[in-house]
Formats: sequence, structure tokens, C-alpha cells
Amino acid sequence: MRILVAMSGGVDSSVVAGLLKSQGHDVIGVTMKLWEGPNGEMPETGCCTAADSEDARKVAAKLDIPYYVLDYTASFSDNVIDNFVDMYSQGLTPNPCVECNRSVKFDHFIDQAKKLNCEKVATGHYAKIVRNNDSLELHKADYLEKDQSYVLHMLTADKLSKIDFPLGTISKPEVRQIAASLGLKTAFKKDSQDICFVGKKDYRNFVSSRIDFSSSGNIVDKYDNIIGTHDGVHEFTVGQRKGIPGGQGQPKYVTKIDVKNNKVFIGSKADLTTKKFIIEDVSFVNGEEFENLSIQTRYNSHDIPCKLQKIDNFVYEIELDQPTLGVAPGQFGVIYNDTKLVGGGRISSKILENVNE
Amino acid sequence: MKRNDYLYLDHAATTPMRESAFEAFKNAEEFAYANSSGGHELSRRAKNLLEESRDFIASYFGAAPSEITFTSGGTEADNWVIKAPFMNSKNSQNLVTSKIEHEAVLASAEWLETQGQEVNYASCNKDGQVDVNEFLDKCNNDTAIASLMYANNETGVVQQIEKIAKEVKIKNPETLFHSDVVQAVSSEKLDFHKLGIDSAAVSGHKIGGPKGIGIMFLSSKYKLPNYFHGGKQELEKRAGTVNVSGVAGLAAALKEHQDNFDNEKKIILQEREIFENELKNALEVKIVGEKIDRLCHISNIQFKSVNSETLMVALDLKGLGVSRGSACASGAQKPSHVLVAMNVPDIDVNSHLRFSFGWNTKEGDGKYASEIVINTVKEIL
Repeated sequence: MRILVAMSGGVDSSVVAGLLKSQGHDVIGVTMKLWEGPNGEMPETGCCTAADSEDARKVAAKLDIPYYVLDYTASFSDNVIDNFVDMYSQGLTPNPCVECNRSVKFDHFIDQAKKLNCEKVATGHYAKIVRNNDSLELHKADYLEKDQSYVLHMLTADKLSKIDFPLGTISKPEVRQIAASLGLKTAFKKDSQDICFVGKKDYRNFVSSRIDFSSSGNIVDKYDNIIGTHDGVHEFTVGQRKGIPGGQGQPKYVTKIDVKNNKVFIGSKADLTTKKFIIEDVSFVNGEEFENLSIQTRYNSHDIPCKLQKIDNFVYEIELDQPTLGVAPGQFGVIYNDTKLVGGGRISSKILENVNE
Repeated sequence: MKRNDYLYLDHAATTPMRESAFEAFKNAEEFAYANSSGGHELSRRAKNLLEESRDFIASYFGAAPSEITFTSGGTEADNWVIKAPFMNSKNSQNLVTSKIEHEAVLASAEWLETQGQEVNYASCNKDGQVDVNEFLDKCNNDTAIASLMYANNETGVVQQIEKIAKEVKIKNPETLFHSDVVQAVSSEKLDFHKLGIDSAAVSGHKIGGPKGIGIMFLSSKYKLPNYFHGGKQELEKRAGTVNVSGVAGLAAALKEHQDNFDNEKKIILQEREIFENELKNALEVKIVGEKIDRLCHISNIQFKSVNSETLMVALDLKGLGVSRGSACASGAQKPSHVLVAMNVPDIDVNSHLRFSFGWNTKEGDGKYASEIVINTVKEIL
């Protein structure tokens, strides 16, 4: 089978290319150039640097597979960066990796694969595609520590039929071992953790370089009493503790950001606790399910048992069995049945406030 | 992958080395490997080979041997001519060039700008021909260098060098008129003095010679400050041990090129015509400069509604090597500054591919390439 492998230059995708090649597939490696400097240069920090694509090229050469760097900057800028800035401007906490997977890696990239006569695309994500009778299911990776199914929740069974996640049943130490046994130079390369286009810099600088949020405003408590002032709402995210005027003894957190009125609400830990909230733009891998559900409200957070209720098309209410901290509008609520990923959607800002009262 | 039946149509990027060039290169490394500046028997052998080669190369271009300096390639020659006149002192003189120059000229000019030097860029029309009047208008009494490529490396479109050079000299006889002729040497017979240019950049590997060797032609009427400093090689003009084997390879390539010129050009023209006609019959394509003077080996084609990056990859996977714009460090390819200067709409800039034929193009290549391209475009549309 001809497979297009997304190679970032890291160890995971290197091993994916190596494994598929050793299984006899016709493997083509591609590094997606997602982000560039003002003169078209590859970034120097974060992921997707020129050094990373150079690593990917070396791995492809070692594996003797065709390799290309393809330009996805327009797609990435339109879908991921614009969304990232837009979300912050609304006081939400974006998750650019989800957007990138949705519109770049598992849309544009799949489309390109088809044009290159590839039956599937493969990436180095830790998640598992399982065939259950006639349907395809998405499951958490066996190696839970690295499970990335959360950022893949938008994939439907139809998409899964065009995707391969070879690392779903392999642990990270095994991945490094395989890389070493194949003689790949990325075997002991450090994992990248940063938001790729922000790198080690503060995301606040990135956002404020794109939109002017600099107008100062008030920091208020839940009764709208003014506690202090701020220099721009983009400096804050829900759940943040740093940079908040000190309370007497009790630590204070950002509980809500009201961009329209340029206000930052703060409160105690209890004010951040949520039991019910709404998720929007919901998709399901294989259709709705209502039994034995749990939810993750952030990447790599714990599963919290919950109930799901349909409100409208693509809009659902989540009721948690136990109230929890840090449910942030803009992040995603991803629903599981044990290890099986059922579906997910974006956490809405609207209803969360009612629940809080 | 099967690489035996790979068809290479990227000769404008570089050409395979001609057999005679390879032999000459090897012979030089075997029998004349000594430093040509040395004082012993083996050095003399190297020096003799170097000067014999220079004599031939100079005569080929209608120049005097003393007007030919060997460089590492076209890029060095361009950098030298463009930058050197401005290196000695900050002066009020300016540089005039075009927006469609090769990066070797363009980036040198942009660097000069960062140093506070005045540079003026002439634009081109939608066919890629530089506006003669605009170019001349930008030249004035303070123009130290006017630089215009003989033919563009992406489109093959030929500029009116002879006319412009003449007019520039009428306007200001002091102006040094430089031309990057790198792409043109394989398709045209050039006589530098007849053309009326004062300096030129030539690259060995574009005409079946070795990589790493080039020529800076500079008319005896001019002197330029040195660009490389070091030993007193090349009549004290360019420091560094001379690449004698490269020079010998270049001379041999040029000789073979001269001997086979008519025949090779005939085949190239014929195959390009077959290729373009087949494409026009089967697909919605536009050929850049089709109706105007362009080099015989380049065919820059716009494929309607096709992403040429995907097409280039798909063609490579089927064994046809072509190119698109100029590659950047990562290997991703940037939209072409030439097409942008030609006012090609944004939506079409990423629909162009360059197919370039060369000395080893053989009968049937045009037809074979067209079949691959037509099938592939239909697949990805």
C-alpha cells in the first residue's frame, strides 16, 4: 500500500516511516512546512525548524524513501493561527493542535495524499484505530502516558479509514529502541512540547503582536467589585493564578474573561469549580452514545465520569459526576467509553457562567 | 525506486557532466594536479593546461584571455561585479537592475541596499520582458553598474541586452554594464564584445561542465577591486588555488558544446515543441513567453487549477524530475519572484512548473514527458 507519512523530524514519526517501510509498504515521507518567518525562512525555535526537516530528510534517506517538504503555510495560517489569535481575543483558551489536526493534518494532508495515489496517511500520534466488526473505532494508545487521542477527537470513522497510527500499541521507550535499531539519528532526540509557532516565547507576545489588546481595564470579583486593573485581557486565561492581585490569605484565580467589557473576573478556587457545561461543534467517531461515559476537559487530564445530553444539533450538555476545576472555555471536552473515544466538542463560554452561580 | 528510467528535465538547474568534460577533469587531476602557481615541472603542467583552457574559453566568447577570470561559479562572479564597486567607500553612485534577476544578483543588490547604497529595480511586462525605457530611465550620471540578465532562468525569456547595453552606454559611458548569462550559454552563441557588455557571469555546470567552476568576464576597459583576498593567483585578481581540473572540464564541455551545438539545439527545440503541443492539446495550459524570444531549452508552463507543488511531487514519483521556483533551505519551494514581477495573479503563481531540456535530451523525451504530465495532471485535478 502506498502511504504518505507526515514526518516532523522527531523520533515518533521517524519510527512510523521505518515500521511501515519494514512492513513492505510504499512509503513517502513529507514534512509539512506550517509556519515561516517574514522572509519565508523556517522557524528557528519550537518544532518545524529547518533543523527538524533536515533530521526528517536524513531519516528518509536512511530508510531510502522519497521525501518532500511541502508548503502548508497558507492552510496553517488561515485555519490555525487566525483561530488561535481570534480565540484569545474572545477570552477563550485555544488548543491549536486540535485545529491543526482538524484542518491541516487530517484534511488538507489527506487530500494531498489522495492526489499522490496514496491509500492512507500515517502520523506519529499515540492513538489506536481498532476495527470492531464493520466499524472503525478510535481508542486511547496502549501507552497511556503519551496518549494523544484527545487532540484527534474530531476524526470520524470515515476519516479513520484513510489513517494509520502505527504507534498506538507501542510504548515510547520501545519507539526509541526501534529508532536505534534502525539506526535513525532521531532515536534519542528530545520531544518538543511547545506550541510550534510560538516556540519558547510567551504566547502573549505572539498574540499581542497580531492584535492590539493593550487597552487596560478592571479586574473584578464575581459581584463586579473592582479589585485592581490590568493592561489587556490577552494576558489572562481562565484558571490562571499568576499576576492576580493577592487576596487575604486565599489564593485567587481568573474565573472568567469578558472581552466585550474588557473585564477580568477573579475568584476563589471554588468559583472555578464546574459541574455542568456545554460543548459545541460536537462530532462523534461513530454516532452518539450515552452510556458509561467519561470526559477529559484538557489534554492529558483525568477522565471524569459524566452524563451527556443533547441540547441542539452539534450542541450537548455535560454533567460531571464530581465537580472539577479548570474547565476552560475554548478547550475541548472529549468523551470516552473506557478507552474508546466517542466524540468531542469545544467547551462553550455561554452556559458555564450560569452553572457557576 | 526505479531510477534507471528517470527522465531528467531540470537542466536549467544543472546539467549532467559531458563525457569529454569528465575525461578532461580526471586527466587534470591525474597529470596536472599541482598548484598552477608553483615553480616546478608539475606546476608548469597545470599552468599550461590552465592557460590553454583560458585561451579557448576566451576565444569562444570573443574575449581576450586576460578578460577571463575563473571563479567558483556564476554566483561568485555576480557577487563580485555587483558588490565590489561599492566596497571601497560609501559613494553616491547607484546600481540599476531588474526585478527578475537571478538570486545571485538580486540578493547582492538587496545586501547593498542594507549598506545604504541606492539600488533601482526595473519591472517587466506580463511576458517577463524587462521594460527597456524604464531600465534606461533609472540609469543616470551616478549609475556605477547596470545589471541585466541575458535570459531569465525560470522562464527562458530573452531580454534585449544588445539594445539596452548600447543605450545605457550612450547615456553614461562610465556605467559598467553587467549581464548574468549563466542560463543563456547552453542555448545561444554569445560574443561578449559584440553584445556590448562589459562584464558577464558564466557557470560551468549549466553547460555540461563540472560544478564549482565559473567565469567572470570583465572587459579590459575596467578594473574591479578584488573580492577574495589572499594569494596572488589569477593575475592577482582572485585569491585561492586555481581549480585547474574544473577549468579543464569547463573548456572541454564548451568544446563539445560548440561541436554539437546545431544538432543538440535542433533536438531540444523539436522535443520541446512536441512536449508543448501535446500538453496544449490535452490540458488547459499557458506557456510563458510562447510567442516571444525565449531560450530553446526552457518551458515554463502554467497548469490551470493545479497546485504545482503537488504536481511536481507526483511527477517525481513517476520518474520525471522538474522544478518550480527556487528552492529554499528546507527544500520547500517558494513562490517565484519572477512570476510575481510578471504580475501573475496570486491564484496562478503556484500553478507553474519549469521543464528544461539539455544536451543529453534525446528524440522521444518530449513525447514521453508529455504522457506522464498529462496523465498525472488528470489524476490530481
